[in-house]
Amino acid sequence: MRHCYNCKVDIKGDHNTCPLCHESLLLENNSAEQNPYPDIPLRFNKQQVVKLLIIVSIITIGLWFIMEGLSSHQITPLKLVLLGVMSMWLVVLIIIRKRRNIAKGIVYLIISLSLIGVYFDCLDGFGGWSTTYVVPIICSFAIIAMFIAVRVVRLEVGDYVLYLLVATLLGLIPALFLLFDLVTQPIPAMVSVGLSGVMLILILVFWGSDILGELKKRMHI
Amino acid sequence: MKRKKWVRLDNASNIFLAAMTDVDTKVFRLSASVQDPVDSELLQQALDKTYEQYALYHSVLRRGFFWYYLEESNLNPKVTIDNKPPCSKLYHFDKKDLLFRVAYFQSRIHLEVFHALSDGTGALWFLEHLLSEYVMLRYPENFEGMNEREIDILKQQLYDDSFVHYFHNDKKKNFTEAAQSAIQTVAKVGKVAAIYGKKATRYVFATNAHVQKIKRVYQVRGKKTPDNRTHVIELDMPVKDILLLAHNQHTSLTIYLTSLFVDAVYKTNENQQIGETIAVSVPVNLRQLYPSESARNFFCTIRLEYTYGQSGNDSLKMICLSLQKQMLNQLSHESLERKLNKLIAFEFNPFIRIIIRPIKDVVLKLINYSNNKNLTLAMSNLGKVSFPEPIDQYIQQLYFQTSAVRPQFSAISHGDRLTVCFTSPFVETNIQKIFVQSLTKAGIPVTIAVNKVINTMLGSE
Repeated sequence: MRHCYNCKVDIKGDHNTCPLCHESLLLENNSAEQNPYPDIPLRFNKQQVVKLLIIVSIITIGLWFIMEGLSSHQITPLKLVLLGVMSMWLVVLIIIRKRRNIAKGIVYLIISLSLIGVYFDCLDGFGGWSTTYVVPIICSFAIIAMFIAVRVVRLEVGDYVLYLLVATLLGLIPALFLLFDLVTQPIPAMVSVGLSGVMLILILVFWGSDILGELKKRMHI
Repeated sequence: MKRKKWVRLDNASNIFLAAMTDVDTKVFRLSASVQDPVDSELLQQALDKTYEQYALYHSVLRRGFFWYYLEESNLNPKVTIDNKPPCSKLYHFDKKDLLFRVAYFQSRIHLEVFHALSDGTGALWFLEHLLSEYVMLRYPENFEGMNEREIDILKQQLYDDSFVHYFHNDKKKNFTEAAQSAIQTVAKVGKVAAIYGKKATRYVFATNAHVQKIKRVYQVRGKKTPDNRTHVIELDMPVKDILLLAHNQHTSLTIYLTSLFVDAVYKTNENQQIGETIAVSVPVNLRQLYPSESARNFFCTIRLEYTYGQSGNDSLKMICLSLQKQMLNQLSHESLERKLNKLIAFEFNPFIRIIIRPIKDVVLKLINYSNNKNLTLAMSNLGKVSFPEPIDQYIQQLYFQTSAVRPQFSAISHGDRLTVCFTSPFVETNIQKIFVQSLTKAGIPVTIAVNKVINTMLGSE
């Protein structure tokens, strides 16, 4: 075992300097006893700085974009590109953050992508295409996507049933678009409402007790 | 399909979730060194057997609207080689992982536990069971002559020694019973709960009434480790010698080590000021006073402090004397009763119950932040641990360490050896150097081991 004459301690492991006082150790007998703590490479080092820089740039771009949006209603190619970039960041961040909870991730995506669609529509002077096509189509396909996804990754009922319920409820929102005449073509909204309605009934019939159980657990006071 | 059982997490354990950060993971580690290099397959078998007995350890932690809750899982723990820094994160809010980990390296077996699940005493029960199973599998020749009955008696003896009344098998195997918070079991719910519910407001609003004039408490600063890993400095020494030193100062081992620690911090402070206060947090196991079979968190903390420059003689003897007096005061039956009542009141407080979880988290974070401002150091002593004879001889030493937001040490002893593990979020080792040097100057033979925390030590870059 190595020994530090300054601290008067025996040291386990192949240290060349004393871990306490940092004096170099005399390597008189080379039989260094193994360190019980394995050498584990650093997991990261400067990553935090990079993360911070990225967050700051996203916020800056976002702020600039909002100010720009407030000042004029004209869509320039630059805005289009920025919108694309921001949507990409948003989708990637949601996927990464919610990668362990795919059903919740889909709910977040429905909401964020729909809002981006509506915002884009507003910038263009609100032609109604987001409420006619974008939102109903996202809602309809998201429900189908969630059905496929939970089967592919084999989730347990309790882990996705509430999100499925939220997704189908979101799918009913296009009914409001129909009601307030925000659509130029009623079919996509009708499809979304119809699909969600049927799904809602099925979910309540088959998993009603699971939903109650989950709600009881998660809303326990 | 059978629906999973769940139990909501008690308020006291909630603080660990609120206080958890990338630096302070709220994970602690109990390790044992055994005679020969660890056989991973046998360790896995021992773990499987032990795991079966402990329903609590089947828990995963989930987030609800008002509470966190522990949910029973079907996961099976896997023994791994020790390939993560000590006390690495165990809980991620979106992951359904077990809240403990068993690892091995050379001749050491490590058990790491997330503090929201259990405290040191509770985890020690699990480790003792695991080690006994492992030793019996690893050295069957010594247990060969014994028949089933004798082995049963041996196991029973082990449980009686350490588990007090804990080992009613049926109880521990039932998830809902095992995961129930210690406070709930002590307070016996129902009638008592209603009474404490009423008392709750009194205690919650009374807390600020008798807070002493706050002194400025010294905070240790330093360079954080590059990847937030915990810096461990492990000391190994003969328990007899150090007890003698403590007795020379007419004090206990815990107070002696704590005083040395306080002294080391003061000596390393470059701009010492008159009237500087150094405060230490010390956990107290409540099971000693209120017999509880629960392996869940059941402790309170007391705070010891020493202000320099008050008597003109800040010798180690003075520090020991002062800390000892404070400790005796705070360990009195009335004082502990008050602390337990506070915990119970906190648990059953009707106002806290209806606040949604994210807000609870923020409030607890703030409470934790203000607590931290009033602490310089922390220490924890699990005391002397022994195993029934045929098993004891195979266990060489025990080690105890915990993730740390401030310099901390954790002590445990087995046989004639005492181990003290310093953990710290900082790269610097000044405090530990002074501490060790004052021991070796007094003639105590100390062996140290350190984990590598920076690239120059790891031999790259």
